[in-house]
Amino acid sequence: MKESNVYVQDLSRGIIKENPVFRLLLGMCPVLGVTAFLINGLGMGLAATAVLIASNVVVASLKNFIPAQVRIPIFIVIIATFVTIIEMVLQAFQPALYDALGVFVPLIVVNCMILGRAEAFASKKPILRSLLDGIGVGIGFTLALGILSLVREVFGQGTILGPEPESSIHLFGEAFEPMGLFAQPPGAFIALGLLLAINNIIFKKYNL
Amino acid sequence: MRDILKMSLTLAMVAALSASLLTGVHNITEPVILERQEREYYEAIERFFPAVEDFQTKEIDSNQYDLIYDQDGEELGVMGTIETQGYDGAIRYNLAVDAEGVIQGIVIVSHTETPGIGDVIETDQFQEQFVGKGYDDPLEDGEDVDTVSGATLSTGAMLSSIRRTVNTIAEQFLGEEREYIDVSEIPDGVYEASVDGTHGVLTVEVEVENGEIVRVDVPEQNETEAYFVDSYPEIPERIVEEQRVEVDTQTGATLTAERIVDAVKKALADAAPEIEDEAEDNGGDNNNEGE
Repeated sequence: MKESNVYVQDLSRGIIKENPVFRLLLGMCPVLGVTAFLINGLGMGLAATAVLIASNVVVASLKNFIPAQVRIPIFIVIIATFVTIIEMVLQAFQPALYDALGVFVPLIVVNCMILGRAEAFASKKPILRSLLDGIGVGIGFTLALGILSLVREVFGQGTILGPEPESSIHLFGEAFEPMGLFAQPPGAFIALGLLLAINNIIFKKYNL
Repeated sequence: MRDILKMSLTLAMVAALSASLLTGVHNITEPVILERQEREYYEAIERFFPAVEDFQTKEIDSNQYDLIYDQDGEELGVMGTIETQGYDGAIRYNLAVDAEGVIQGIVIVSHTETPGIGDVIETDQFQEQFVGKGYDDPLEDGEDVDTVSGATLSTGAMLSSIRRTVNTIAEQFLGEEREYIDVSEIPDGVYEASVDGTHGVLTVEVEVENGEIVRVDVPEQNETEAYFVDSYPEIPERIVEEQRVEVDTQTGATLTAERIVDAVKKALADAAPEIEDEAEDNGGDNNNEGE
């Protein structure tokens, strides 16, 4: 395999073939919890992506110093540090998003997708490849959250780009009575299940 | 041995690095966050009290009240920052009340109510029905203000908290006084009354002796166990201790605590027939709490 191919693969793997949400079913807690609005879903995706990229790079660059026996606590400390930074930055500069994401920001610490990439990839691979892997998986995660939250917002609220009234667009007019179920946690499970099914059909058809 | 040392040192180093990095970021973001929260709060004050020139902060029961003055030192009203228990966690809001005890507006600061259901407390439609009403209004569900069906717990919690806050502000800062049941007029005896509770009736027994409430008991109740133990025996004890019925019910089990208070009010009102309005008032209240 040519060397540039490896990098392309590192970047693209997480987006479709090993999409953390649709293929690996990792990090389900924020996936189900914050996807009632597109903005929140994308915001969560980007926050998790930022943490993932940072933690992947730091873990990859420290991998030779980290004793194998205590690697998990060290990974968690690294991840928690970045999550806390993101949390403080969001609270200071994106207060609306911070309020919307609520408890799910601190919960990025235990998002198994991030620890999973640190353990399975970054702790064994060079820095550049870990960076690309982090970007790829992050894009895949954000994409999946975006699709799920778009579906849930359109059906559950009848809007796009809510919940702020200035920016939200009513797709079906003000009189439209949305399917409130999709805005609720059970609706998240149903929407996720339907998307997984569609995803599986596509994968089967094209033999991905 | 060397391994353990290396492990601990590495972990300690990582933790120390992390701590110093976080301190750095915190120092940058903290002032921004505080400044924004303060700015939003002052913007709200200016919106409701455009002539604001000065204010004075008071604290009652861990809620903050800002007394607003204009440039002549005339009291314009009070802005309260209130925390109450919603359906799912704390609701923090600002309540602006003018010098006549009339509500000027509500700002929800933070809440964790169910999206799509309990978050109607944020809508203008829910909030505006309070504006223009105040201390002289009953502020009772179904009378002059309404809870939102389907979100009765969230909106009901807001409604009763707003009523309490208006009373607190009017009585503590605006010199308003309301005629309450005078226990000293009530003849000795044991009085009983029931109100609708969460899962059935809640009955209280109030013993009056020499014009004093000497005992409050709850012989029958069907409340949620965890909430009931929060309010009992605390609320009855406070009623006896303070010798007044309108004790503060901010315990995290507000609904249950309020039912006990309501039932005691009802029992005493029945025993003192001269204040008939009060008795009717409480009857209406109790019915609504149970819905």
